[in-house]
Amino acid sequence: MWKSIIYKEWIKVRWYLIMLTLLGILVLGIIFLGVQHDKIFSNANNYWYAILFNGLQYYSILKFIPLLMGIVFAFAQYYPEIVNKRIKLTFHLPLDEDKVILIMMLFGMVSLIISYGIMVFLFWGAGSFFFAREIVNAAMITITPWFLAGFGAYFLIATIILEPIWLYRILYTVITVLFIPLYLTDSVSGGYSPINLSLTVFTLVISVSLLFSAYRFRKGEM
Amino acid sequence: MENVIECNNLSHYYGKKLVYKNLSFHVKEGSILGLLGKNGTGKTTTINILNGFLQPSGGECLIYGDNSQHLTPQTKSRMGFLIEGHVQYAFMNIQQIEKFYSGFYPQWKSEPYWDLMSKLKVSPNQKISTMSCGQQSQVALGLILAQDSDLMILDDFSMGLDPGYRRLFIDYLRAYAKSANKTIFTTSHIIQDMERLIDDVLIMDYDRVLAQCPVEEFMSEFRQFNFELENDAVDLSKEDFVINFEKIKNKVELYTYKDENFVRNYLDKAGIAYKNFTQVKMGLEDAFIGLTGKY
Repeated sequence: MWKSIIYKEWIKVRWYLIMLTLLGILVLGIIFLGVQHDKIFSNANNYWYAILFNGLQYYSILKFIPLLMGIVFAFAQYYPEIVNKRIKLTFHLPLDEDKVILIMMLFGMVSLIISYGIMVFLFWGAGSFFFAREIVNAAMITITPWFLAGFGAYFLIATIILEPIWLYRILYTVITVLFIPLYLTDSVSGGYSPINLSLTVFTLVISVSLLFSAYRFRKGEM
Repeated sequence: MENVIECNNLSHYYGKKLVYKNLSFHVKEGSILGLLGKNGTGKTTTINILNGFLQPSGGECLIYGDNSQHLTPQTKSRMGFLIEGHVQYAFMNIQQIEKFYSGFYPQWKSEPYWDLMSKLKVSPNQKISTMSCGQQSQVALGLILAQDSDLMILDDFSMGLDPGYRRLFIDYLRAYAKSANKTIFTTSHIIQDMERLIDDVLIMDYDRVLAQCPVEEFMSEFRQFNFELENDAVDLSKEDFVINFEKIKNKVELYTYKDENFVRNYLDKAGIAYKNFTQVKMGLEDAFIGLTGKY
């Protein structure tokens, strides 16, 4: 039965997932074309100096891309469920309702992991081509919360979309607006190193928040 | 015969607004029950409670012995559910949606689904969202039939359908239900359709039940008499035997469970002069309006 749930989710999001991943790859292409350009025209020594000592982040345009992807992906996956209250059909399936929601959430999370994983791999690979390992490692630490922001936004937007009570929706929106910037505070390269693990744990905790919205929907609260 | 649905002392409020109080009814296995009522009398509320999408303020509904608030997957697999407006996963096409649902029901029967689909002029890859209301209704019906559920709960199945599709839907559904001993609990705004479909009727008014019996019994016992009063100031609406009394000038429509002799005797004994007394043959829709009133 879980295969059927995954099939439905795939039909909903496949084009979004492909387009968003291509968007991410396009942004990476732009980043590393810029790196190549700057390395040639600004002199490699000067360019490295700027990265190491002036805090230049050659990948700064990537910052909001995973967040955007998480938000769009959450809408693509969950908005069709609330149109005409279609989620009633989902809850009516012969499966435990919480289990259905968790399968949907896990599908979304794994999809984002794959999409983000491709981007991170390309980012790491292309970065390693141009820079020393220390620079690439610092960049990887820096982009980690940006990608966690994508997951956080995905979970919270899903919770907002499934929430049947407007008051709670507003409350969740406020929480989202206050919470997401924590991932995206300006920082020197590698500056998030001490907090990345905590942010990961926190992101995993909020992953189940959509169960509360789904419960209220099932009980007909409005 | 086993009761498939058993609702006891069901009450519900939206905030302080009472929808109904102490509503009790049951649906026997193999029967088709139509829940009729004007807008706002609690039809969809009842459907939502039955499916576990709404927690009643009081009372309980049992479906195959399960409390509707905690339906087990086994019980849900025996229930087909048609949402008002034939809502389905409209982002799928007819092949995808059949593949999706078939994964949940071991007893899935594709034939009735594809049989219905063959009547629609749609391509297998056409998204459901691009189909007409009538075509979407056939997709929803086909899925319920393929699910081969023992109990079908249909919320306002006639919504948005033109007469041809309504007739097709009803005739197909009734033939299927009767041949396979399926139980149906349904609501519809279009009462005349229900007459062809249902065995039992449950008619609700605001916060109370007006009638609950086999539809044949209701149609034979509930009567309409028309007559003209000599004195148009006469008002019979407060009399015990009168269910509904509609009067325009001196022309009267009187609805009652009593027979013609009783009404005539009453009028004669009360000294109420009248003429052109006739019993009017009613359809279910006429009887529904007679029972619930025009307003």
